[in-house]
Amino acid sequence: MINVTKKFGSVVAVDHVTLNVNHGEFFTILGPSGCGKTTTLRVIAGLETPDSGRIFFDDEDVTDYPPYMRESGMVFQNYALWPHMNVYENVAFGLKIRKVSKDEIKRRVKEILELVKLEGLEDRYPHQLSGGQQQRVALARALIIQPKVLLLDEPLSNLDAKLRVEMREELKMLQRKLKITTIYVTHDQEEAMVISDRMAIMNEGRILQIATPREIYMKPRNLFVASFMGKSTIIYGKVVNKLRKYVEVECKNFRIKGVTPYEDLKVNVGDKVACIFRPEFFKLKEESDEVNSFDGIVESFSFIGSIQEVYLRVGSARFIFEVDSSFNLNIGSKLRIYIPYEKTVVLPV
Amino acid sequence: MSIKFKLIRLLKRLLPHFDPFIIFQSAVSLFFFIFLLILPLSSIVLRAFLYKGSFSLYWFQSILTNKYFLSLSPKGGKLFEIYGDTLYVWGLDYGIILNSLIIALTVATLCSILGIVTAYIMAKYEFPGKTVLRIGLNIPMLATPFVNAYVLSKLFHPKRGIINVLLYDILHILPYRVDVNGFAGIILAQTLSYFPIVYLNVLSSIISIDPSLEEQAENLGAKGFTLFRKIILPLSLPGIMAGFTVTFIFSMEDLGAPIGFIGYSGNPLAKKVMSYYIFQSFSEALRGQISPETATLSIILLILSLSGFMLIKKYVSLRTYATISKGSRWSSKVKKPRRIGLLLILAFIIPLVIFASLPQVGVFILAFTDWVTSGIFPSKLTFEYVNQLLTPSVRTAMFNSLTYSILAVLIAVFIGSNASYVVSRVKSSIANILDILSTIPISIPGIVLAVGFFLFFTSYFRGTVLDPLVDPSILLILAYSIRRLPFAARSIFAGLQQVHISLEEAAMNLGANRLHTFIRIVLPLISINIFGGAILTFVYSMSEVSTSVTLGSLRGDRGPITFYISQVVYGSVVVGAVSVGAALCVLLILLQVIAISISNYLLKQRFSIFGM
Repeated sequence: MINVTKKFGSVVAVDHVTLNVNHGEFFTILGPSGCGKTTTLRVIAGLETPDSGRIFFDDEDVTDYPPYMRESGMVFQNYALWPHMNVYENVAFGLKIRKVSKDEIKRRVKEILELVKLEGLEDRYPHQLSGGQQQRVALARALIIQPKVLLLDEPLSNLDAKLRVEMREELKMLQRKLKITTIYVTHDQEEAMVISDRMAIMNEGRILQIATPREIYMKPRNLFVASFMGKSTIIYGKVVNKLRKYVEVECKNFRIKGVTPYEDLKVNVGDKVACIFRPEFFKLKEESDEVNSFDGIVESFSFIGSIQEVYLRVGSARFIFEVDSSFNLNIGSKLRIYIPYEKTVVLPV
Repeated sequence: MSIKFKLIRLLKRLLPHFDPFIIFQSAVSLFFFIFLLILPLSSIVLRAFLYKGSFSLYWFQSILTNKYFLSLSPKGGKLFEIYGDTLYVWGLDYGIILNSLIIALTVATLCSILGIVTAYIMAKYEFPGKTVLRIGLNIPMLATPFVNAYVLSKLFHPKRGIINVLLYDILHILPYRVDVNGFAGIILAQTLSYFPIVYLNVLSSIISIDPSLEEQAENLGAKGFTLFRKIILPLSLPGIMAGFTVTFIFSMEDLGAPIGFIGYSGNPLAKKVMSYYIFQSFSEALRGQISPETATLSIILLILSLSGFMLIKKYVSLRTYATISKGSRWSSKVKKPRRIGLLLILAFIIPLVIFASLPQVGVFILAFTDWVTSGIFPSKLTFEYVNQLLTPSVRTAMFNSLTYSILAVLIAVFIGSNASYVVSRVKSSIANILDILSTIPISIPGIVLAVGFFLFFTSYFRGTVLDPLVDPSILLILAYSIRRLPFAARSIFAGLQQVHISLEEAAMNLGANRLHTFIRIVLPLISINIFGGAILTFVYSMSEVSTSVTLGSLRGDRGPITFYISQVVYGSVVVGAVSVGAALCVLLILLQVIAISISNYLLKQRFSIFGM
């Protein structure tokens, strides 16, 4: 999709969005609620008409196609199963519309229900199914038409936590097996990272970064992406020195060395910047070091399992970092932590 | 970009929801409203504003300066005057325009007072016999056209009326015989049959007030009348407004009460209202023309009732209605009154229910006894009148009514589903217009619509099947369908509100176009609402009065039952014929009870904004 904009009244829901999803890819649009990700999906499905921009499926411009000509298969957040039809009728609907022969419909419905592990439930009505089963019916109904692209609108958000993780894995396996191009919309960053080949981070109608989950986590392009993806400590400052390998940033209480993640994100001496530290890159350190070391007092800590999460008060700033779960912590005790400059991301503000 | 795409894009820009099916639905609905509402009403405007071939206010001037139409000092009538042993309560004649207005305002005020008090009692208090009284409060609303007013005028006859005989001659409670007739009679008949409309509207408003709002006020020290005045009254204002306005409009367009009173007592004062004047001019219409005075008066009546509608538009639109009609989410707080309170409540509500049900009770007595000829009291049971329902002329009327109503239902449901679908699914000015058009027929006096139909179809369709002078059947069907459309549209709209839009989107996403989606997904899901709405449309078509007795009078063998009843009540020379009319009303009552029960059961809807 190229340069798509969609407004609702004066609200710009989708703001000049350009996306390119590859064949067979699991692509996720991630963003907080109200960021325009669902609208983007609906524009792709043809359920909303964009104000400007074009949408292509392969080389075919589908922008002016009504939804029923797009050959996209969508799974709605509330599943949108038709309450007056049973599982079989729900799943067979797309084929009936396409005037597929009765025998073939029978065969394909059977096949797809086996695929989503719903065999034997053909005669049930939606209200007789559990949430997870309803979700599978919705998936089967979308898959059976062999859509050019599978569109998933927060399909797991109505399931309980345990089921959500199970379905997530299943969905991923199914997608790999069918090699179907998939666009997945969610606000859950953990879900997005686990499931996607590539992802787009969206906020206030704009795409902020498109990359693999790893790259987005390690090398966020912007402050929103950095703070939305995972936990981090953010310290603001001013660039005082710029070298080939790193930049030096002067903050209120300390001086920080860090790197800018992308060539095109240039910072100059005097620019205001933000330094981002991921909690797992901190190391505990005894001896003194001039830069990227911080002395502080343990404010609180919580035991997560494999690690402990510690909040360290350093002057007016509060750092979050992780230590091994065997480490003995006490509230109020002094600690010194260190982070290498390669792991410190400096972003223009 | 190909030319085709350019064209589509252009269309999309002009119509943001470009979709052939939606356009078809909007076009069909708009055509229906333009052809059956806007053009006929415009024909009246044309007739009223044309004088000697050019635009002029001549007719308005001539009417408004004519003492017959408008007089600032009374020119006849009796208001609380005593002659001999009789107290005459008739009302004063200020010319037919003011008469109608005064009657309508009085009726709306009386209905509001009775309705609000009744609603408050029923919503807030628990007392023995409440269920019976609740059902009883629905009785006055059962339509028994003409005969109800006939019964009242028979009951209040100064010499032979049961009420006077009982209270003056036998029990000596009243110091005088009371003769309620003329305008006072109309007010009495209308108030008794319309106050439950206000009651139901206000009840549904009170019940949907979040009890915590009340509790908060009580917590802050408000109680009793202060609580009622400061919290309950303002919050139930939508129901009161809607009830007041609807009773006002119903009163102005009503023909049943004037004709019923004239029918029994022959008092000419009851003739001096706008609806009756317009009705009467249809006897000239047989000769092919309707006078400019009638057209002008119709416009005045239309303006009065439309301004009432504009006042409450936001409460009665489809979009608002659907949220109100769901009824209450809370269970409202109900109190047990203390002994004195209980006595007061019962002393108010029991006589009210009994008195308001008298017309309906009287209808049964007329139908099954010899009351019509026996004098003061009925003397024996008889099935003579019920048997007369089988005579050819009555059978023809019943056949006509059934045919018209069934066909009208089909049209109303078809247009109602299309218009409601556009209103519920599209955000555009067309949807807003359709919303108004689907509700506005409630406020258009049937008698005005009849004039419009007559003028429009005799002028532009002369000699065709649509010419009422050739055959009024088709026009009656169309008139029923548009007058009762709001019942169908509201019920269907409420159903559409329950169908989540994603159910349709899922179908379209899987390759079904709008038409397929509408037929395979939407219609099955709202079938119950369609059926419920159809039933209501049917019974209110069967009991339709205004166009039935006007357009229906243009050809005797095409008249529906309400026309037949009006004939026997108004001027039948056949002794006892009124009782045949009453027997027909009994049939109508049965039909209404069955239909409304089914509809309420299906729609699981306890209240509706018009109390119907």
